[in-house]
Amino acid sequence: MSAVIIARHARTPAERFKDAAWVAFIALLLGIPMVGLTTVDEGGALTVQTRFGMLGAFVGASFVGRFIFRWIIDMVRNRRAAKPAVAKADRTPQAVKVIGWAVLGASIALPIVFSDNRYVIDTATTVLIYVMLGWGLNVVVGLAGLLDLGYVAFYAVGAYTYALLFSHFGWTFWEALLVAGAMAAAFGILLGYPILRLRGDYLAIVTLGFGEIIRVILVNWTELSNGPNGIGSIPRPTLFGLPFERNPAEGTQSFATFFGLEFSGMHRIVFLYYLILVLALLTNVFVARLRKLPVGRAWEALREDEIACKAMGMNVTNVKLSAFAIGAMLGGFAGVFFAARQGFISPESFTFTESATILAIVVLGGMGSQLGVVLAALVLVLLPELGRNFSEYRMLLFGTAMVLIMVWKPGGLLASREPTIRLKQAAIKGGEA
Amino acid sequence: MAYALQQLINGLTLGAVYGLIAIGYTMVYGIIGMINFAHGDIFMVSAFIAVTAFTLLAAFDITSLPLALTAVLITAIFFTSAYGWAVERMAYRPLRGSTRLAPLISAIGMSIFLQNMVQLTQGARVKPIPPVLEGGIEIWQSGGFTVQISWTQIMIVVVTIALMVGFTWLITQTAFGRQQRACEQDSTMTALLGINVDRTISATFMLGAALAAVAGVMVTVYYGVVDFFIGFVAGIKAFTAAVLGGIGSLPGAMLGGLIIGLIEAFWAAYLSPEYKDVATFAILILVLMFRPSGLLGRPEVEKV
Amino acid sequence: MKKTLIATAFLALGAQAQLAHADLTVAIAGPMTGQYASAGDQIRRGAEMAIADINAKGGVLGQKLKLEVGDDACDPKQAVSVANTMVNKKIVFMHGHWCSSSTIPASEVYAEADIPMATVSTNPQVTERGLKNIFRIMGRDDQQGMVAGGYIADKFKGKKVAVLDDKSAYGKGLADEMAKAMTAKGLKPTLRESITAGEKDYSGIVTKLKQAGVEVLAYGGYHTEVALILRQAQQAGLKLTVMGGDTMTNSELVTAAGAAADNVMFTFSPDPRKNPDAAPIVKRFRDAKVEPEGYVMYAYAAMQLFADAATQAKSTKYADLEKTLRGGNFKTVIGDLAFDAKGDQKQPGFVVYQWKGGQYDYAAK
Repeated sequence: MSAVIIARHARTPAERFKDAAWVAFIALLLGIPMVGLTTVDEGGALTVQTRFGMLGAFVGASFVGRFIFRWIIDMVRNRRAAKPAVAKADRTPQAVKVIGWAVLGASIALPIVFSDNRYVIDTATTVLIYVMLGWGLNVVVGLAGLLDLGYVAFYAVGAYTYALLFSHFGWTFWEALLVAGAMAAAFGILLGYPILRLRGDYLAIVTLGFGEIIRVILVNWTELSNGPNGIGSIPRPTLFGLPFERNPAEGTQSFATFFGLEFSGMHRIVFLYYLILVLALLTNVFVARLRKLPVGRAWEALREDEIACKAMGMNVTNVKLSAFAIGAMLGGFAGVFFAARQGFISPESFTFTESATILAIVVLGGMGSQLGVVLAALVLVLLPELGRNFSEYRMLLFGTAMVLIMVWKPGGLLASREPTIRLKQAAIKGGEA
Repeated sequence: MAYALQQLINGLTLGAVYGLIAIGYTMVYGIIGMINFAHGDIFMVSAFIAVTAFTLLAAFDITSLPLALTAVLITAIFFTSAYGWAVERMAYRPLRGSTRLAPLISAIGMSIFLQNMVQLTQGARVKPIPPVLEGGIEIWQSGGFTVQISWTQIMIVVVTIALMVGFTWLITQTAFGRQQRACEQDSTMTALLGINVDRTISATFMLGAALAAVAGVMVTVYYGVVDFFIGFVAGIKAFTAAVLGGIGSLPGAMLGGLIIGLIEAFWAAYLSPEYKDVATFAILILVLMFRPSGLLGRPEVEKV
Repeated sequence: MKKTLIATAFLALGAQAQLAHADLTVAIAGPMTGQYASAGDQIRRGAEMAIADINAKGGVLGQKLKLEVGDDACDPKQAVSVANTMVNKKIVFMHGHWCSSSTIPASEVYAEADIPMATVSTNPQVTERGLKNIFRIMGRDDQQGMVAGGYIADKFKGKKVAVLDDKSAYGKGLADEMAKAMTAKGLKPTLRESITAGEKDYSGIVTKLKQAGVEVLAYGGYHTEVALILRQAQQAGLKLTVMGGDTMTNSELVTAAGAAADNVMFTFSPDPRKNPDAAPIVKRFRDAKVEPEGYVMYAYAAMQLFADAATQAKSTKYADLEKTLRGGNFKTVIGDLAFDAKGDQKQPGFVVYQWKGGQYDYAAK
């Protein structure tokens, strides 16, 4: 628990000591009620337990940690100051491209390398779902600059659309995919309308509210959504009509029998992985293309300066709604895949925490950066997974990492909030300090 | 009629609690223009501190109610303010001047951190305290239904009103309030005038935390059961209240809290409790459609 | 560079699976963190004790048992992730998950990987999906609701009863069954409502109950909300008797509700602590400062079930285990277990209990 503050001058050891002592004092204040004291339930009533040893350790660790941390930071600073500042090589689009292709290569090769490791492929599938969601939300937040805290609503709409189409009309994954996307887009417009005039944080709370409304309706409207019991036995996607089953229905062939392979549960896992990979890549190409079209340009213009857009006679309403609709549609696609992969969905999967995670992926990755989203999704999904062995500290580290990454790189891991087009002359930067 | 009155009392009490937490959101928003997402969890931390303090007092056999309450309040305010200060220092100050979204994400991270830290250090079980303040007054009887108002409910409403008045005075009449409003208007200019902006912001966070601590103690006394998850629910409701009333406005936060408390109580009383959250958010969306800055908020000035 | 990073991360994940060991790995899964962490804690303690006992007797088929613990926090998505991890760890038996909403999606993963599982999830859906690998060592919500609803109808004839649930899969299923059973016996619920779990303010619903003159509350959900409702009912001057399900076994209820907990009744399988055969094990738990309440003994029994089945089948292969479990009869600390074709217990007994002074005991018939 050490704060990060930018030093302004070289420090003497005495100053360092004082600084660390101050941090230790704060740690003591924070630690007394939480670390030093705890209440335990003893036979129907609470009693207070003291843990002064732990408190001491905590305060000591804060002191030492702060001392060393400052020392290192200052050394690094002094080194930097001593060297003439070399202009940092910008991450040229070239480098990003190379990394992007490398990541793509790695993700295509992954199931081949880990062909017998179900867990790795499954986790990678989860990562890709988040990547796709991140790219979808990126349209709304990163490009159009509209803060959306309820993105999970569209994810839920997509998932439930597929589940319901299947359970009432027996639609398959491929049939439902487009309809669910359209449905989510419709919800995007529905949400977009009332909030066109809102800005910033008002927008945030309304979108959050919208996400909650969708979830509460799913929980309570039992006739529609089967309420908290969720919808189960959702069929998996098929490969051109070839299901991945051990015992296919009469008169049909399964993937395994068609290719004369022995049945293995891995086939489906690998297939699902490649399916989401393709879906995610399509999303990426789609968004990249959109950015080059007038509508994409309009989103970015809106993000940079809404008033100027209005003054130029742009139809701000349509621009905002289109961003919401496209973002929602992509979320809907991801939802369909999620439902097909889990085979079971319930409202519990679509909580605010999910929205916060997706937003964190977009912001940690760097707004508007496609590759950044991939990296952030990797970090945010793998962190809790790697922590499964010390599950108690898992979420604690997750929260800490979120704070630290932001403090370390406020612009995100790969900051590229650059408008796609810039006028040649240096524009005078106005606006808020 | 008696039934409606009873639900009104329930709604007012709940609204007062939301309002107390909402003021914290509004104050922080007013000065740095950001939502403090960890505010709900600071409130949760304070409730745990209150539980520990009450249990300690019981262990020392201090049963005089006013004394115990005062002691717990002071303890909770003291330690919770430290938490408010630390949150600002770690999640906000390093990010001053960066994009608007960065502090939001770091605050969400902070909120996850606080929830899990409390779960680790204090355990995942619910923490109950024995009833502190029992009994109440029967106001009215009609048709076999007795309308009751408990001492706790009276206390919550009185404390809320007192704090509301106190804070309004603090913001409008004191030097600190003037500095705060100056930071709100233009922090660069304020700094040039020799006012320590960082300190003012820290103080605001601490005040917000102190208010959350009062709310935490009240909730502990009123419901008697806390767990590490209460900050999340209360936080979202209070944040909604702050926005509904117009974020940045103190009376707005209170009004928003009361409206939401009353909506919840009456929706649960006469319609279905299942959809009360839908009602809350739907009304929020409706209000914002016609008043984009909330009920008492000032319209945002668009700088061109 | 990035590629190697990612590869290393995945290698680290995969490495655990590459370790070969001669032990038999069995697993438990449930909410070790999150709101219901106390249930996860009970499961872990029970399973650890059972594994220690089985290993002290020489293990199963000459191999020692090793326990893996999975944390799903009662979140369906994490449950699937835990299930995949466990499949990779080559477990031969799973006791879990705890929440029905986690068990349902996770069980499909185990079914595909041919891993038998014993669960205490009570939602009927768990065994209604035709999976062959699930064995339920607890009754079902519909059976539980029948017993609870019937008891209410007999015991509180002519009183006003409200049926409430917390909108969880478990709670709603149980409340629906209670209402059905009551109505069948001629006692119609006066009110049928839902509340939101995780909130703190139930004064609105309490006032509603008071207005309707309700004396008995049939509740489907978890103990935390019951404690709050009871506390707030007391403040509103309303005396309530509550009838709940197996989640009311948690002693937190007593701490949180105080004396009002004595008005809580619930259905649960016959108390394993009262089983004379289990007395030495109960004593060992108490010596180890663990009260074998709630799910502790079930976790113990699940491990016994596995050991017993593997010994009878003389193998830990899925096909043999499944056949043995399906047809056999097993002695455990929670009584004799035998399963029907779906994997449900053949004779699940549910008994009505009542809390009294911090302990629960059979309620008056």
